[in-house]
Amino acid sequence: MASDNQPTILVFACNWCSYAGADLAGVSRLEMPPHCRVVRVMCSARVRPEFVIAALSRGLDGVVVLGCHPGDCHYSEGNYYTRRRALLLKGLLEHVGIEPERFQLRWISASEGAKFAQTITEITGEIEALGPNGRKQPLPER
Amino acid sequence: MEQELREIVRKLLQEGAIEYFIGYAEGVEPLHTTPCFIEREEQVQALIWSPLCPYNLARYLHQMKNEAGKVGLVVKGCDARAIVELVKGNQIQRERVVVVGVPCQGQVDLAKLEEAFQGVEAVEGKGDTFLVTVGEKVHRVEKERLWREKCFSCKHPISFEYDFVLGEMSPLLLARGSESEFAMVEELERLSVEERRAFWRAQFERCIRCYACRDICYACYCQECIFESRAPRWLEKITTPLDNQTYHLIRAWHMVGRCIDCGECERVCPMSIPLRLLYKKVEKEVEQLFDYEAGMRVEEVPPLVTFQVDDLDLVTQESS
Repeated sequence: MASDNQPTILVFACNWCSYAGADLAGVSRLEMPPHCRVVRVMCSARVRPEFVIAALSRGLDGVVVLGCHPGDCHYSEGNYYTRRRALLLKGLLEHVGIEPERFQLRWISASEGAKFAQTITEITGEIEALGPNGRKQPLPER
Repeated sequence: MEQELREIVRKLLQEGAIEYFIGYAEGVEPLHTTPCFIEREEQVQALIWSPLCPYNLARYLHQMKNEAGKVGLVVKGCDARAIVELVKGNQIQRERVVVVGVPCQGQVDLAKLEEAFQGVEAVEGKGDTFLVTVGEKVHRVEKERLWREKCFSCKHPISFEYDFVLGEMSPLLLARGSESEFAMVEELERLSVEERRAFWRAQFERCIRCYACRDICYACYCQECIFESRAPRWLEKITTPLDNQTYHLIRAWHMVGRCIDCGECERVCPMSIPLRLLYKKVEKEVEQLFDYEAGMRVEEVPPLVTFQVDDLDLVTQESS
């Protein structure tokens, strides 16, 4: 967890679109805030909602899931499932008092390097404005 | 009505139609009933039916996977939905279950009863009142005074999935709509995010993670529960507010499209955590977004194992 007021944001990027988009953003030397940790997954539907719940409960400041645009999924339909889950998950998180901005879903294709950089900048800004996730707590001593 | 029930069970056992029957019996203490398993004809006298039978007996059908033959059981309207869900989840075969539907007049909340009366011996439903026997005296009490919270928004007082059905329906319960079903959720929704966080934090802090809510839940039939997995380890053994929140949110997530609001989790919680308030939210979202109600029809497809290409894209707020 980052120190001071720097947020830590977990980004799940799908291998086929968003991760390539992130790569393009990097190769194009686009600037964006450095608070994200990108995890490559084979599909946005690989991201179990439990991942998001665990991450936010344990004090990460935000979780972003990036997938192919609907209709463009490498596995034809993975992101349609993600879309449904995200909708419900967001409602649940809001219900227990986790700000909706802390969990975001975006579609980024392999050619959208600029959109990746812009999305990350925007979301980081939103999460920074919220301040640290109220739950930051050290893990128990083992 | 009890006599009618006993006769049905006696006949089923005589014919060898079922291996055993799951019903309610008097418990050790007055007012506390217990689930019971009837295997022989002479045991049928033990069967009872009263407004003090809260248990969702469908929970005991999980063991059928390792058994042969048929099983009979008593279900209230709310529990009937559990049977539909279990069939949907391939946990049981409908033809292996003999369902006896009872017209539920609402269940009595023991805490409310104990607050109102001392030394109660029996409670009986009659019309729109409960008859509460204390010593020699019989009190007539409005049902609303003693009902469990979930009964106020009951939509299915009578089992709609049954092979046999007992008695008649109480008009009082039938008259109740679903108007107030999500009222408590909406009340919480009106608070700010910070207020809700504070509210739930205080609730989760009390949790001792005894897992009673999971163990009583008819829908928790995984062979290996995610919370018992060692790799990855989702929770520490020690109870911290942070892990408790993880636990409750993951459980709420697993209730999506499954929770039938039998309210057993909340009833068994030793710390009185308002769990229904959590699962009801999920239920509400599922109903509003996907027009889906758990446990209504076997042919229905649960909301998260399907999709529509033109589903609303409310999260990304992008048109695609």
